[in-house]
Amino acid sequence: MIGHVVLISIQVNTASGVGVFEGMAFGVFSEVQRAVNGTVGTVTTLWDGYVGLQSVQAENEELRRDVSDLQLRLQRERALAQRARGLEALLGLRRVVGASTLSARVIAGDATPYFRTVTIDRGAGDGVRRDSAVVSPDGVVGRVVSTPTLRAAKVQLLIDRSAAAGALIERTRVAGLVMGGVDERVFRMEYVSNLDDVQVGDVVVTSGIDGIYPKGHVIGDVDVVQRGPGLYRTIHVRPRVEFTDLEDVLVLVPDAAVGSTTAGGE
Amino acid sequence: MRTAWIGLGLGVALALQTTLARMVAGTGAPVDLVLVVVIVVAIATGPLSGLWAGTVGGLLQDALSGGVIGVGGLSKTVVGYLVGQFGAQFMVTRPAHQVPVFFVGSLIHAAFFVGIYLLLFEGDTVVTTYHDLLIQAATNTVIGGVASIGLQVAPGPSERRRLRRRWPSR
Repeated sequence: MIGHVVLISIQVNTASGVGVFEGMAFGVFSEVQRAVNGTVGTVTTLWDGYVGLQSVQAENEELRRDVSDLQLRLQRERALAQRARGLEALLGLRRVVGASTLSARVIAGDATPYFRTVTIDRGAGDGVRRDSAVVSPDGVVGRVVSTPTLRAAKVQLLIDRSAAAGALIERTRVAGLVMGGVDERVFRMEYVSNLDDVQVGDVVVTSGIDGIYPKGHVIGDVDVVQRGPGLYRTIHVRPRVEFTDLEDVLVLVPDAAVGSTTAGGE
Repeated sequence: MRTAWIGLGLGVALALQTTLARMVAGTGAPVDLVLVVVIVVAIATGPLSGLWAGTVGGLLQDALSGGVIGVGGLSKTVVGYLVGQFGAQFMVTRPAHQVPVFFVGSLIHAAFFVGIYLLLFEGDTVVTTYHDLLIQAATNTVIGGVASIGLQVAPGPSERRRLRRRWPSR
């Protein structure tokens, strides 16, 4: 019990974290997560493609079996097309970003229900660094927190309560700070004066002032604007990114780091 | 042997929490499988095992999540010990009796976890509401109840099989 208190106190005072333990646990467990993720994917594929189909064959007549078969094939084609569209969008974004990017796959979520982090399958070996920005074709996703292991990295999503990004209202160039909200569907935009012009539907983009997220990436759309009780407006922003089912993301990495491994992504 | 089973249980719970729970319920799934295992262990084996399971499970969970290392460890240590003590004082062997233990244990854990963050840091740093906490406690209770029933039912058939192998004529 005392050990826990000491451990917490060390981190609060130095804000440095317990690197060795955290690194070891994360390094070992990210491999377990990778394996579990792969196994679950394989089982799901097997179930969808064979076991589920077999049970349908056993239960239905010949015609219904054919229809099911076709429907299943159609679903597969749709899923493939959707995936291809997603990859095309990623490719398009990579051209737009103008920085070295690395595509990554989300392999795990947070270990507790209280924080919003995910684990991606790219790490220090691929050039990912602490504070590397993570984006998707829809908008800003988050940033890499903690020191990445060789093959995995922890990403704090922008919806986490302690996450924030410098932001601009695209139309009027009014600056503020976008912070994680109560749930996956709302950001708060803080420090925008009651005198500034902000309207529902305005697009919010990154300002680049935080030194993490490059300027101009879409964060979301203004959903609620109210005159605040003090100096600042109450603004809610609806994220463009669907955080509940993130699969593929892009990591923005320093040129030197990525040059030695993937030369601008895969 | 018991320690190995507890370790395996915690490892499986962590793996499922980070992968399967996210696939089923999305980011921030309202369930804490590690806490469920800690409570199951505490009920089944007493306060000391509950305390250690809480410490190890909580610290590992902290290391994998985005929070301060030790907060989850401390919260789960307290819950493991309290539930173990409760289990030693009262009869909570039936799943029906364990249901309130899971629910109250989850609420105590949430109170400690969120409370420590509120004490240490200015403003809210964890993503939660009272509504979320109640849903999480309810989900933990359901999963814990199912696990308890499974653990009570599972030894029966395997024991019968073992006896049948030993005395085939019976």
